[in-house]
Amino acid sequence: MWINMGPQHPMTHGLWNLRVKVDGETIVDAQPEVGYLHRGIEKLCEGKTYPQIIPLADRLCYGSSLTWSHLYCMAVEDLMKVEVPERAEYIRVLTIEMQRIVSHLMWLAAYAGDLGLGVGFVYTMREREVFLDLFQSLTGARITYNFPRIGGVAHDLPQNFERDTLRAITFFEGRLKEYEDLFEGSKIFMMRNVGVGILKKEDAINLGVTGPSLRASGVTYDLRKDLPYSVYEEMDFRVATHKDCDCYARYRVRMDEMWESCQIMKQALKKMPEGKWRIVAPRNAPVGTGLARVEDPRGEGMIYIVGDGSDKPYRVKIRSPIFVTVSAAPKMLIGYKLADVVAIMGGLDMCIGETDR
Amino acid sequence: MNLFEFCYGIIHWLVDLVNHLWYWLGDVLPWWFGDFFDAVGDFAASQGHLSVMTIFLEVVIVVIIALINVLNFIWIFRKFMGRMFDFYGPYYVGYGIGGWLQNLADGIKLFVKEIIVPAKADKMGYLLAPIIYIGSSILILATIPFSENFGVSTNESGTYVPAGALFALAAFAIAPFSILLAGWASNNKYTLIGGMRSAAQMMSYEIPLLMTVASVFLLAGSFGFVDIVDAQHDIWFAIPLFIGFLIFLVCLAAEVEIIPFDLPEAEAELVEGWTTEYGGMRFGLFYFTTTIRSYAGGALATALFLGGWHGPALIPDEIWFLIKAYIVYTVFQWMTWSLPRVRVDQMLGIGWKRLLPLAVINLMIAVALKSMGWF
Amino acid sequence: MAQAKKKSSLGFVLQPMKRTGKTLANSLFLGKPNTVLYPYQKLDLPIGYRGKHIVDFKRCIGCSNCVQICPNDCMWMEKLEDPELGKIERPGVDYGRCLFCGFCVEICPTVAIHESVEFELAHRERSRLKYGPKELRDDSFAGKVKEERQKRLLPILDMSKCTSCEKCAGECPEMAIAMMPIENVGRKKPEINLNKCTSCKKCEAVCPESALKLEEVYESYFEMPEPKLLIKSCTGCSACSKACPADAIYMMEMPGTEKVLKDGKKGKPKKRAVFVLEKCVGCGKCFRTCKFEAIEWPGVRK
Repeated sequence: MWINMGPQHPMTHGLWNLRVKVDGETIVDAQPEVGYLHRGIEKLCEGKTYPQIIPLADRLCYGSSLTWSHLYCMAVEDLMKVEVPERAEYIRVLTIEMQRIVSHLMWLAAYAGDLGLGVGFVYTMREREVFLDLFQSLTGARITYNFPRIGGVAHDLPQNFERDTLRAITFFEGRLKEYEDLFEGSKIFMMRNVGVGILKKEDAINLGVTGPSLRASGVTYDLRKDLPYSVYEEMDFRVATHKDCDCYARYRVRMDEMWESCQIMKQALKKMPEGKWRIVAPRNAPVGTGLARVEDPRGEGMIYIVGDGSDKPYRVKIRSPIFVTVSAAPKMLIGYKLADVVAIMGGLDMCIGETDR
Repeated sequence: MNLFEFCYGIIHWLVDLVNHLWYWLGDVLPWWFGDFFDAVGDFAASQGHLSVMTIFLEVVIVVIIALINVLNFIWIFRKFMGRMFDFYGPYYVGYGIGGWLQNLADGIKLFVKEIIVPAKADKMGYLLAPIIYIGSSILILATIPFSENFGVSTNESGTYVPAGALFALAAFAIAPFSILLAGWASNNKYTLIGGMRSAAQMMSYEIPLLMTVASVFLLAGSFGFVDIVDAQHDIWFAIPLFIGFLIFLVCLAAEVEIIPFDLPEAEAELVEGWTTEYGGMRFGLFYFTTTIRSYAGGALATALFLGGWHGPALIPDEIWFLIKAYIVYTVFQWMTWSLPRVRVDQMLGIGWKRLLPLAVINLMIAVALKSMGWF
Repeated sequence: MAQAKKKSSLGFVLQPMKRTGKTLANSLFLGKPNTVLYPYQKLDLPIGYRGKHIVDFKRCIGCSNCVQICPNDCMWMEKLEDPELGKIERPGVDYGRCLFCGFCVEICPTVAIHESVEFELAHRERSRLKYGPKELRDDSFAGKVKEERQKRLLPILDMSKCTSCEKCAGECPEMAIAMMPIENVGRKKPEINLNKCTSCKKCEAVCPESALKLEEVYESYFEMPEPKLLIKSCTGCSACSKACPADAIYMMEMPGTEKVLKDGKKGKPKKRAVFVLEKCVGCGKCFRTCKFEAIEWPGVRK
């Protein structure tokens, strides 16, 4: 029996369709179908000037909008050969890591909701608010920040921001331990996660899976370490990996990444230099190409821009991590129970905005 | 005075009042007409009619009081969940009484919604399922007494019949049939899987549940709630039959479909499970009935294991009974919101591999206790 | 690194229940729930919050830069008649389309538009989501909000008074003023290197015609496109000069173009547009107004 899980279904977290063929409760086949949320963002970019695309890049992913606008700005800076002030780079690293925590918290909330743990959903969303408030005081918005600019960031850090952030980090590190009690402390959670949705190392590499899902399969691959952009070279952190390849490993990697993000934020605040946070960017790009790759919370994101000398890009190509990761879904699903679909697909942290573009 | 005598008095007075009319009509009207009304009066004053009407009145009173408590339960469910989730819960509808009127507001809202039957549904089964579900659940309410004197547990002549608990459990076991019917008749894959899961779950958890209850019957030596509660005058059955009490709670959680075992309506994978295709007041009935069953579960746990209405005499017996049922329900809710949902094979594994052997051990403990002569 | 703890044997139910019980006790007995009862209680929003716009009519020069940068085309310029300010053009916002990106605030050359903390803009009718300039007006607001952008005192040239005496260029200690010849007009005009200027006010003091005045100018993070005049195409119609919101275009007489009349006298010479680029706000109105394609706008595909 084929069952459509989507396009409008509580499991999907966005508009996509997962068709699973079940024999009783066991899955024997699976077909992911994406494309329900195609907005033509790549084409839209061709009709807008370079700064106007920044809010559009924010809308690629509602979960981690800042990483995408930052990625776009990096690509344009590569195209225009703009040097970003050092303070701006540190502010960017600080905000990206904060965005990573916010994104992972949203994933954890959705994951808890999927597994039926209502409290987990509410508690993680509650702690997400703390960071959203910080973002609000910094950028003026809660989800779509429109914060990075070509050649810097939009605003300097507001008053007391450093103090508030350190306070929030201390508070959040305590809450991380609470989550571990709430999630790993309950045996039912472990029963649902351990040994479910195994994606072996070779399969993960062959299918092009990136990000936490790849690191949970035992591959130590993180662009922040392997191809350091911005000022990640000066940060001291560890790449979180796990060798179990199952849902629990993916959960564990993300929890560890949140912890590491806290450490990076602390270092960024400590090392932040004084100075300008923004320079005047050129209006027109030269004829040429620009490329940027970053470690998005969901995997490796990439933007490639072709400029034609005017104030609008000739072509923008976006590489979405989840679009690639979702192709690994049948590999992970077949052989497990219907109830494991939510654990496996929830563990991938789907975001359809960037997948369909 | 117990409830039967009270109701009997009311019915007797009413029948006497109305019989004045019948007999007067019998005097006034012509011979064949008059005889008919005389016969009606005689029938109304007969012992059989009086008893039936008395028991009917008893049932109505008990069920209405129980339903009011069910409304309270829904309110507790929402308020407690809200506070546990760190928000207020119902607040403004019924400002000052903790948002108690929110249930009624939601009920009115569900009432005015359109009733939609899916085009390819089996209409008969689709319409019948909620009726069976709520009907069988209300049957349970009628059997549970609030105290020794306040409940439906007598025959027509007012003597005590020890069969209430047995009847309650029998009514409890009808629900899977209606769930399966609802899931099948909706003609939807989600509802079908939900219905099948529900049937499997209820069957596998019914057996350990009944075996623990059997140990209670064994110790009390009776099937009636009043006898069982009286047997717990010295010590609650939850203490000697501690394993049985835990098994009973777990099975009850599975029977009333709350979260560690709410697979039939697993929101994440099956949308709303077997209630997916129901809307408006039909869904409202399902929702309400789920709470009725939770109330019945709490009341059964109270009566069978927690000493029923026994407690210090400061508070009336009925209130003691309700307090215990409320506490059981609240602990249930606490457990519900703290745990994720188990998978279907794990759920069956827990039922057959863990709970059933433990239930047998519990039954053996009960036999041992009885044969040692301690109960 | 937070390591996974050892699982206790009570982990089945009791450990998570302990966690939730703590929150329950906190929200039920010890303190209050975490949420806000929204329509009745409201959160304090920070100053930088991006909500409904506020336009300071007195600062606004009607340059329509905000309309051009808007990614969603949700702003428009509306012509108004104001008792104080006369005939003006001011922006309006359609909140059905606005995405609150804040670019209009960033690009405004005179910091006349702000975003306030008001966010309750929903309405049952779609037409009511359009807020005209009169609904957005608040002239007293501009001083109260946080102004991040830095002001600079810069000498601003009034070309109509300038006599090309070169005194300012000789006085400037930083050599920031250079006299540049204007093509075909036969005069020189002081051009100010903004990076070198230290706002010392000496040029203002020395100018005999008081053509140079120091005024406060907001720094902009957007590159100003510089309009270029194609002298051959210019007819001297002065449409661009009238359209310029910043008064940066002056119509100057061009010697040698006078018509010789019948009686031997010379007539009026032709006029040509002269740009004072320090004043330019980069709005492109001159470019769009010019009917003779005499103004070139860099980087725009026409």
